[in-house]
Formats: sequence, structure tokens, C-alpha cells
Amino acid sequence: MSPVDPKTCLIVDDSRIIRKVARRILEDLAFEVQEAADGAEALEVCVGAMPDVVLLDWQMPIMDGMTFLGRLRALPDGRDPKVLFCSVETRADRIAEALSAGADEYVMKPFDGDILQSKLAEVGAIQSPS
Amino acid sequence: MTPEDFERLQALLASRAGYRLSRERMQLAEHRLGPVARREGYHNVEAMLASLWSRPVASLGWGVIEALLNGETWFRRDRATFEVLERELLPALTAARGGPVRIWSAGAGSGQEAYSLAIAALEAGARVEVLATDLSRQAIEKALSGLYSSFEIQRGLSARTMLRWFEQVDDQWRALPELRAAITFKRANLLDEPRDEGRFDIIFCRHVLGDMTPERRPRLLDGLERRLVDDGCLFLGMDERPDGDSIAFRPVAGRRGLYVKSPSAYRRAA
Repeated sequence: MSPVDPKTCLIVDDSRIIRKVARRILEDLAFEVQEAADGAEALEVCVGAMPDVVLLDWQMPIMDGMTFLGRLRALPDGRDPKVLFCSVETRADRIAEALSAGADEYVMKPFDGDILQSKLAEVGAIQSPS
Repeated sequence: MTPEDFERLQALLASRAGYRLSRERMQLAEHRLGPVARREGYHNVEAMLASLWSRPVASLGWGVIEALLNGETWFRRDRATFEVLERELLPALTAARGGPVRIWSAGAGSGQEAYSLAIAALEAGARVEVLATDLSRQAIEKALSGLYSSFEIQRGLSARTMLRWFEQVDDQWRALPELRAAITFKRANLLDEPRDEGRFDIIFCRHVLGDMTPERRPRLLDGLERRLVDDGCLFLGMDERPDGDSIAFRPVAGRRGLYVKSPSAYRRAA
């Protein structure tokens, strides 16, 4: 991979609106974006090509974020992507649960571009905003 | 708001706060003053300003000034700055001093910088005393409360740091008592003469200088210099620098925004 290759981010969310908002922010940060509407769809994408970053909703039909995270981490190279949970769940114990399940960061919804940018910098996926 | 109103606001901000209210902020000013006018019981912004110009009342004047300052801030703003603090300054100063390291967050706004400093120190096991001051009473009251919305808390803080140092209070997050205990919050004007003998090892005064009128900048820098120990460190914003050929502060190569105070004796000789 040459250094000019853009980083890739997989957005996993059952809300088309959230995917659209997140896509706009991530594309502004020069990410190449893919979308999945649930964990099963996301897993298929990851088996094909592991993204650099996964933005992961918690509650979704078919396969939820927690189940996806467990399956992802069990895949070959499945520990490589930085996973940012992104959920309306804002209770401290639930956030702690997501982190101990192997998420690298946690974003409480609603979020904006400044927040997402600072979280991506936190996991080293982009240069820190100044 | 009339152009005359705006010019008088510019003059008010410049004289009291040294703040440069640029012309493109006229709409923003009008927008920010709406809530002040309602709170103070005026029909609209024009009525409030008319009253302020005809019969200046200090409390109303300061309410207007506070609303117009640029209070935007977030946790660990300019991340590289905090890395220099954590990896280089705190270990060296802790070893050299044998007592708590004294840090001043000058122009602290709603407190995110001061809390970021205190977290960095506590996590590094360094003893610090942080003083946080701001011109805005409202901002300092918020800082003192240690309460942040989920928007504010997420901007610059990792989820782990948030869970470690803040507790959830309804839909907000409040700094834990041990964190709040590391910081003293005070309302203060950076243009006032220092009233105490407090001296600091490190001063953070970021994104203040850039918003100041050229006439007031020397006064701010002089105040900072007098409160800093010899060889003490001054952090400005990444794109800010002291005016002209100041010999009071020397830039540190490779550390953008960081300046070291020249020893007083050296300055007198020069």
C-alpha cells in the first residue's frame, strides 16, 4: 500500500440518515467510505477487505454491534481495524461494557464533525486537529 | 443594531477587555446579545444598548462584554501541546522542584483546558496546583461546576478518560471531586495589575493574544511575564507569538507555541 492510499472506513448503522451524515464527515477527512446496514452485512465487507476504521452502531436488526465486534475480532486480521462504537446508549456502565468488549473508542449520539474528528485522532486514525 | 451601536461595542470591548471585535462579527454580536437583552428585561437589543449608552451600569456592561468574547474551547486542544507537557515538562519540573508544579490557565473559558492539565498531571503522578482564570463570570461559573454536556465532554476526551475522571449526572458529565480539587477557579481580567505574588512554573495562555487589540497585547504579555518564574514556560496557541522582538520570551525550537522566559538578570543586562 502506498502512503497516498486513502484510509478506509466502514459505517455500520441501520439508519440511512446517520450513515449519510457520518459519510459526509468522513469523506471531508479524506476517508474512503463503505456502508453496511447491520452487523452481518458489515462482516461480509470485512471478510472481503479489512477497513482501517469501523464506525459501529449498537442496536441493529439481524446482527447487533456487540455480536459483530466479537466476530470481527475473531477473524484473521480482525484486530487491525480501529472500532468506534457510536450509539444513543450513553450510560457509563454500557460505555465501559463496549470498551471492554474490544472497542477502541466510544461516540455518544448525537455527534458532530468536531467530535468524530477528535475521536479519530484519539485512536490514531488521523492527525490530531489543531 | 445600528453601525454606531457596533462601533461603541467595539470601543467597549477594546477598552475593558483588550478584545478586538472585528466587523464581520456584527451579526454574531447581534445574535449573542439577544439572550442578554431578554435576561436583563429589555424589549430588544437596541433598547438594551440605548440604555447602556445613556446610563452605563457596570453589571450590564460586563454582561454585554462576556457575551461577545470568543469562549470556544475544548479538551486537550492542540494535542501536541499536552504531549510536550506530559512527556517533557511535568517529569522534569517534578524532579527539579520537589513541590507541586504551579500552572496557570489564563483565559480558561469554561474550564476544559484546566481540567485537561489536571488530568495530565494526575495520570502522570505529578503534583500540581492549577489556577484557572477567565474574564467571563459565566464561563468561570461553568468551569467551577465541572459540568459538561455530552457534546462538550466528547470533544477532545477519549471515552476511557471520560469514564475515569467524570461521573454521569442525568445527561451531563461532572468532574470528580479529586479532579476539581486540583484546580482553583477565579474570575480575573488579564489586563489588571497582578494583585498577589503568585508565580507560576507554566502558564497556558492560548488563543487569547490572537483576539487582542495591538495596543493591549504588550500589557497582557507584561502581566504574564511578571507571573512566570525565570526559565518558566509559556504556552501560546499554535499560531500565536509574542510581538516584535520581545526578549522576555524565547521560542523553543521544534515545540510550536512554547516559549521560555529569559532570566530577569539576563534581560536587565541586555
